[in-house]
Amino acid sequence: MAATPTDAVRRPAIGQTRPVDRTGRLVYGLLRAVPAWVLWLLVIVWSVPTGSLLLNSFRTRDAQRATGWWASFTEGGWTLDNYSDVLSSSNQTGGLFQALLNSFAIAIPATVIPVAIAAMAAYAFAWIPFKGREWLFILTVSLLALPNQVALLPLLQLFAGGAHWTVPGSGTVVTLFPDLSLAGTPTAVWLTHTAFAMPFAIFLLHNYISSLPGELFEAARIDGADHFTIFWRLVVPLSVPALAAFTIFQFLWTWNDYLVAITMIGANGANYPATIKIASMAGEFGMREHLLSAGAFVQAGVPMLVFFALQRYFVRGLLAGSVKT
Amino acid sequence: MDALTGALWGSTAAIGISMLLFLGANRLFDLVVDRWRLFVVVVGALGGAATFGILAGNRVLDGSRILWIVAGGAMVAAVGVAPALFSDRRLRLAVGVGSGALVGLVMTFVIDETVRPTISMAGLALVVGVACAVYLICASRFGRVLPGGVLVAATLGWTFGCWLLGDIGGGSWSSMAVAVIGPTSLLGAALGVGQVRTRPGRERLQHRTRVGAFLGPALLFVVLGLIVPLARTIYLSLYDARGRNWVGFKNYGEILTNDRSIDLADWANIFTSRLFVGGVGLLTVGAIVGLGHGRRRGRALEPVAGSVVPAVAGGLLLVFAVFSSLRGTVMNNLWWLIVVTLFSTGLGLAAAVLADRARFEALAKSLVFLPMAISFVGAGIIWRFMYIARPPQKPQTGALNAVWVGLGKLAPGTAGQAVGLVVLAVLTAGMAGLCLFGVRRRQNAIAIGAALSALPVLWLAYRLVGPGLGGVEEGPLGLPIGKPILFAQEGPFNNVWLMVVLIWIQTGFAMVILSAAIKAVPGDIIEAARVDGANDRQVFFRVTLPTIVPTIIVIVTTLIVLVMKVFDIVRVMTNGNFGTQVIANEMWQRTFTEFNLGLGSALAAVLFLGVVPAMALNVRRLQRGRV
Repeated sequence: MAATPTDAVRRPAIGQTRPVDRTGRLVYGLLRAVPAWVLWLLVIVWSVPTGSLLLNSFRTRDAQRATGWWASFTEGGWTLDNYSDVLSSSNQTGGLFQALLNSFAIAIPATVIPVAIAAMAAYAFAWIPFKGREWLFILTVSLLALPNQVALLPLLQLFAGGAHWTVPGSGTVVTLFPDLSLAGTPTAVWLTHTAFAMPFAIFLLHNYISSLPGELFEAARIDGADHFTIFWRLVVPLSVPALAAFTIFQFLWTWNDYLVAITMIGANGANYPATIKIASMAGEFGMREHLLSAGAFVQAGVPMLVFFALQRYFVRGLLAGSVKT
Repeated sequence: MDALTGALWGSTAAIGISMLLFLGANRLFDLVVDRWRLFVVVVGALGGAATFGILAGNRVLDGSRILWIVAGGAMVAAVGVAPALFSDRRLRLAVGVGSGALVGLVMTFVIDETVRPTISMAGLALVVGVACAVYLICASRFGRVLPGGVLVAATLGWTFGCWLLGDIGGGSWSSMAVAVIGPTSLLGAALGVGQVRTRPGRERLQHRTRVGAFLGPALLFVVLGLIVPLARTIYLSLYDARGRNWVGFKNYGEILTNDRSIDLADWANIFTSRLFVGGVGLLTVGAIVGLGHGRRRGRALEPVAGSVVPAVAGGLLLVFAVFSSLRGTVMNNLWWLIVVTLFSTGLGLAAAVLADRARFEALAKSLVFLPMAISFVGAGIIWRFMYIARPPQKPQTGALNAVWVGLGKLAPGTAGQAVGLVVLAVLTAGMAGLCLFGVRRRQNAIAIGAALSALPVLWLAYRLVGPGLGGVEEGPLGLPIGKPILFAQEGPFNNVWLMVVLIWIQTGFAMVILSAAIKAVPGDIIEAARVDGANDRQVFFRVTLPTIVPTIIVIVTTLIVLVMKVFDIVRVMTNGNFGTQVIANEMWQRTFTEFNLGLGSALAAVLFLGVVPAMALNVRRLQRGRV
């Protein structure tokens, strides 16, 4: 689409004769408007799915079953009951409120802890010289592309039963990692998220921290500051934009995650975050089908708020993660 | 509420403890240079407490665990600091060995007799020798050989030689003494030798430990959460369903030979499908246009819009022709990879270019970008509402089927059909006019573009007059009955409808990054090109596009990695039924619902192998970026 013939005529180049006859002007005028039309057509097509979900979430069960969302403009049938039902604590219809709390219980630690850990590591990779720094950094960041799937089963086994090693020949079992019975808890989920977040977090924060002016650290070191002081007093305050970008990114990612949560929480329904809740609502047909759109919108509401409020930081995080290297 | 408060307390505690540990470690390492003895005592106490705690935790030591932790900490701290009290070199070594042996002697008596190992002297000597040799080779290659290092290597060799080679539980009192006193005295000797630390040496140590304090937590998570699990997944993939018996590459063989993963039975359909014919036709058009332009410029093929657009479209049709005939999980993944990556990048580029300097650019970009904030599960649900198909007798409540069936019901003679025909006629006339205009002005791109765009319009007109446009079939009474599309169920193109969801999400991602890249193209280069007489199209294809190619590569790699592991969308929308299975969902079902650990791990390893090229590319980018 980038290659639409219209690009050629949007602005005649210097030296090219401007069409003077009327048809020519008309055609050029129409063609010049085409990019805008195509853009807004794309925007409308992109917004219809979300918009229709929003409209449907305010329609009664009967209205949803009888007609499409576009009919609500003429027929009405508006209600707020879907939201109150889906948020209520009754297990028959709702329970989404509890699920939202569970989502927070996962997403908050899964955001705060990786930021703290990765910022320290990023500082070390950027400003503390040591042997093997280069390849250790590359090794860590190369894991960025690692599919989470390869680590799920071993991590679940670790959380559910610890790691044990049977000494060959004797049957003696040595515990390498104790059984903490974490399977089914939010802790298992955020620990997993923390591990999975490391490569990207270190990469992103390293990009930023390594671009801070080195003279600053030199001056601080001459004044007798050690690495800990430099990190705490200089690096953290100066890196707030990058820290914010990663925080938003990681919060959206963990809030919207389904794979890690369903694997680690398994059948423990009381700890389900909102994504699993609405996915299971989508899996069952009948009673609650009319609540699904409200449920999906509640789940999406938090990230959308974050997104609209902090879009600039989010975009900056994305850019730092891919354009600059 | 309980879960939330519990988790918040838990994480607050975790953060607090981690902060204290981090601060404590930093304070501890502050001691290295000026207060060496105190440092040794603290490290010895911590190390001893940890070692004895682990031993007690594994029920090797009888009695109270806490008692052992305290006693072990005190003992090892004493062993550590004892040599530092003497300044004479020989005396220090003797004190180190002696106190180490003393701890070993204590351990010989207190360790449970059921774990006493048997000792084979030849094996022990061999392992110690190998350990020392490995240390010597590594140390001479990468640094300096230190006597303390040799002793530590010998300690490790001795420990492994006794406890791994021996038959545990079959040993006697004396073999136990060899197995325990040997390593502890060697370690004591290492401490005794290592006490000679000059000030620069201590400063080096402080620097190194500080690096450890900063990197330790992150590396702990990376190693325990990513690297070890990756190794274990590969290990498990070579074992049977329960992870007990070695089966070699049988699991991988099953993935490659199974009909469900790769089904090539219908390969002949590729060549008979309309998609194939259309694809070849478009490729031919592209080639002819390219050759024609090439001849004028004296080149073999000239990539202009009139040749590239039909060629890309034709290639896509061929992809669809191939993957709608070759079925199976792995083939689905490849189909996803190609289609989602191409469309997301292409549409993202289009949106970025179109929105650039447009009115309300920020609003348009926000709306296209918004799906990025929605979870894959939520997006799956949103599109389920778009794809709803209801029985023909009932009104369609899904937007797409409503349009589709509505179009189909434009029966001959109705006002709708008349309006449709008029609209199509106007469009055709417009295209024809544009084509003529292009020919007159020698703007081939316009002429060919208009001619090609007229084809689908004409086809729509034919459908409208003839067999009907959209979803209808003739009912029992000769009346038209709506025939909705079962987007999720009707194969093999239900796969494409699932891909639409991911394209919908990822286009915004590609757009935002490409938009930034386009804005970052230096303005003076573009100005220079304009002064040289380049028009907008030439500026885009000759200046902007080449400049943003690296960004496009980054986006494509990111998308490939992302699409490779697509899971949530398929799980929510079809759960892999109706021929829409993908590797990640297959892996999840095999592993976590059927508990076939071997096959599940092999599928995960296949996903890993799929992203290895992307990882290699990233590593190369990183290396280039830093050199």
